[in-house]
Amino acid sequence: MKELKKTALNQLHHELKAKMGDFAGWEMPIWYVSIIEEHNKVRSSIGIFDVSDMGRVEVIGKHASAFLDKLLTKPVAKLEPGSSQLCLMCLEDGGILDDLFVYRIGNERYLIVWNADNTKRKLDWLQHWAIEYPDVIIKDVSNTTGMLAVQGPKVSELDTLKCVAHLSRFSHTETEIGNAKVFVARTGYTGEDGFEIITDAVGIEDLWRLLMQNGAAPCGIGARDSLRLEAGMALYGQDIDTSTNPYEAGLGYLVNLNDGNFIGKQALLIIKNNGVQRKLVGFRMLSREIARRGYKIMKDDRKIGTVTSGGYAPTIGSGIGLGYVPAGLADIGTDIEIVIRNCPVKARVDNRRFLLGEIENEPKRK
Amino acid sequence: MNPKENRYTTEHEWIRVDSGNTSKIGITDYAQSALGDIVYLDLPEQGTEVRQSQKIGEIESVKAVTDLYSPASGRILEVNQAVVNEPNLVNEDPYGKGWIMMLELSNPTEINALMSSDDYDKLVIELGK
Repeated sequence: MKELKKTALNQLHHELKAKMGDFAGWEMPIWYVSIIEEHNKVRSSIGIFDVSDMGRVEVIGKHASAFLDKLLTKPVAKLEPGSSQLCLMCLEDGGILDDLFVYRIGNERYLIVWNADNTKRKLDWLQHWAIEYPDVIIKDVSNTTGMLAVQGPKVSELDTLKCVAHLSRFSHTETEIGNAKVFVARTGYTGEDGFEIITDAVGIEDLWRLLMQNGAAPCGIGARDSLRLEAGMALYGQDIDTSTNPYEAGLGYLVNLNDGNFIGKQALLIIKNNGVQRKLVGFRMLSREIARRGYKIMKDDRKIGTVTSGGYAPTIGSGIGLGYVPAGLADIGTDIEIVIRNCPVKARVDNRRFLLGEIENEPKRK
Repeated sequence: MNPKENRYTTEHEWIRVDSGNTSKIGITDYAQSALGDIVYLDLPEQGTEVRQSQKIGEIESVKAVTDLYSPASGRILEVNQAVVNEPNLVNEDPYGKGWIMMLELSNPTEINALMSSDDYDKLVIELGK
């Protein structure tokens, strides 16, 4: 077995007696005390996550904007320094290579934060297209930095984060917390308010301890997954990948077909005009059984799809999931069945933002 | 650390003979801790005949699904409705309120082949290394 990569907080996780496991090739804390407890902490108060497994890449240069506009599905040229956007990087055929956050730090300086998988392929992709932009420097800072997510409705009450409480959603700044120079953005992946903080790998443990002392509860990737699933956010490598396009994945809002000429645009224009055959929907189990990734989705004794993400949703109190179904069966309220232990079990297509009404949802956030 | 009066399987189930041929079965503290928050139990119906080591159900935590094997042969006398309704009881009290089923043993001598608490303690220590 290939040895798992370790984040700068690995020893601390062991010290905190976390149950550790493999996540995209990283040894990560799955939970410290309990997934449900950690999940609830983030919905009601404040949790802290090690998200250092996510890749961090700086893109610098006079033509950095033009370069990124070639690669990303939403133009960065319109971003003000200090703001950010969620967008996609697609292949020529419109397949999704990743979903990522791009932060504009300065006029000619950007930071990309992307998922843990496929790092080499994505870096190669960037390097490949950078040949046309010889002044652009691509710098993978993943190993020299670490990244924390502090998430939950009470996050701006933390003493340590008072200095960044003024940040609006998706905006960011560079400042100091404790003794550490930090990059702080008001972003996250839980459906709650929160900050993501990047700092030098050397200083990240002190920062974590400081935030913990302030009252943020350590949370593992178990809660990270249940929180994002309840918020209806697709996970790369599970719900979306190069074989899926943004429109069927319900991520059309991350694609801007009006401006520029990014990679994949021509294919996406055709896909959008033709309409999609299948759609990624959210569903809720109507009994206590739990749908898991890979389970079959049925309708009238016919297989119509496969569960791409599934699990127990602590805030909702039942099983929920995501999966692709034919576009004609994607309406909210459609009765479907999930095959669990060889038995079809009743489920219903639901608003993919399962907590809508209870929490504010991502795309509508300013 | 694990109750003396129980016998244990390598699959981390326990069995305790209460009186005569009547026994209770459940999963061990090690098993519940490895699974994390248990949220669903798929169990056989009362009256089902089961064999030792037969897969008789599944236990689902937030994160994982795991098989439940019968520690002995016999007939299911009762399924603990309390854990069916509140699966987290298995986490909170795996040897007490979190018992899973009552089994009427058809071959009580089978139990002798299972691990004693001392042996199971050692196994758990070994697994924790």
